[in-house]
Amino acid sequence: MRQVAIIGAGMIPFGRRDEDSLLDMLAYASLNALDDAGMGKKGVDAVYVANMGAGILQHQTSVASALVDRLSLIPAAADAVENGPASGASAIKNGVLAVASGYYDYVLVAGGEKMREIVGWKATDFVATMTHPEVEYPYGVTLPGMAGMFTRLYMEKYNLTRDQLIAVAIKNQKMGALNPYAHVEMIITREGIVDDPDSVVNNPMAADPLHLYDMCPVSDGAAAVVLCSLEMAKKISKKPPVLVAGFGQATDTHTLQERDDPTDLKAVTLASNQAFEMAKLTPKDVDFAELHDAFTILEIAESEHAGFFKKGEGGKAVEKGETSLGGKFPINMSGGLKARGHPVGATGVAQVVDVVFQLRHELGKDRQVKGAKTGFTLNFGGFGNNVVAFVLRRAE
Amino acid sequence: MTDELKITAYRCKKCGRIHYPFHDRCLDCLERDFEEIKPEGDAKLLAFTEIYNLPWGFDVRTLKIGVVEFSNHIKAMGQIQIDDFNKLKTGMKLKTFWEPVRVQAGEDVFGLVLR
Repeated sequence: MRQVAIIGAGMIPFGRRDEDSLLDMLAYASLNALDDAGMGKKGVDAVYVANMGAGILQHQTSVASALVDRLSLIPAAADAVENGPASGASAIKNGVLAVASGYYDYVLVAGGEKMREIVGWKATDFVATMTHPEVEYPYGVTLPGMAGMFTRLYMEKYNLTRDQLIAVAIKNQKMGALNPYAHVEMIITREGIVDDPDSVVNNPMAADPLHLYDMCPVSDGAAAVVLCSLEMAKKISKKPPVLVAGFGQATDTHTLQERDDPTDLKAVTLASNQAFEMAKLTPKDVDFAELHDAFTILEIAESEHAGFFKKGEGGKAVEKGETSLGGKFPINMSGGLKARGHPVGATGVAQVVDVVFQLRHELGKDRQVKGAKTGFTLNFGGFGNNVVAFVLRRAE
Repeated sequence: MTDELKITAYRCKKCGRIHYPFHDRCLDCLERDFEEIKPEGDAKLLAFTEIYNLPWGFDVRTLKIGVVEFSNHIKAMGQIQIDDFNKLKTGMKLKTFWEPVRVQAGEDVFGLVLR
């Protein structure tokens, strides 16, 4: 198997993009990644497009075929990858496998979603279609509802506190305010969302015990990367290539109720362990991570299940500032899903793009993890029933 | 009450693992032979939440959702219908009913209701 590198990374600002179609967004992000890779007019052998909901939200299918046409990449192979909110990382994994096998030399992976053109309850319903169609969905359970149940159990088992969840929200929105690609560019304070009497209005309950500011926004956006072999990357890349040192993917039961311990995110642990094993590294070797904080609880739980903190210690680490910039293990210096936003098909690609920017040391002092050499991403599908992890390294 | 519940779970004939919903092969031992079983006894509340941002199809302000475990270890999700959410506690016993939980295409959809 060939070692695979990322030679191009691109994104467009996430948020509400009324003026752009899904295809516009995918094309803009792809062109940014192709230009970043210095591809010029050179084509790619294959394109993988991550998208969860165009068939439902835009009444559009075959988005990969549409994108190669739009970018004049014909006759490149083109596949769409739908794996819920983990579509992005799944698409990259498929691209990595294609290059590693030696079958394709250059692969473009783009992820995008357009979610803001429908009203909130339709978006909530769209995301809830991931739940089990017979024993969960009919009851009206939503992904925030799943997260609410999970949070209460986690609080009961590990003494997780609301203050720890709040610390995640404040940290990530602070970082999002510094990220030009972030959907939410608003710094929040504990006073505004908890202490002030108006916080009842500012930060209402969303899915008990989670409040509005425990949730990521519903976003439009797209991101893309260009892959090739590490050997080729070293010859052609003007920027430091980023090695895909390891990846992992694991699944778990569709319903939470069938897990022996519903607080145990087994797929997170398995996918992370696979990625570390392939990279021949351990969590201690990683400098920073981009985790899937669709809800504040997930950043904490994932940081523990991936092995960066012991169970019950992740929340304390956030409170102590250990996961902030300058802390011993910065998490979500992009602002995470919480602030960068969560256009579901784009998220897993955006996480990788953010890690590439970090590993190439391209960010400003206010977001750059000093001397970053190794980063980690975790893309969380369903409620932990399909998880993809990457270990990425700066190739010197 | 539980006799009326239209819930069918599946106990693996080899290892005894209970499945709900149906799986074609046992999650533990991969065998394909199952015995159909119905919920029995009390329903113990394992997890719960109250959802304020509802999906399409519900004409109520909030939804209370819970997962319960019956005495014979079948676990199932249901809608909780009590006035005071703060009275809910993990481990408490709830009564079970099979009643409409939503309306789709003008017709009632029945499911597990917990009170």
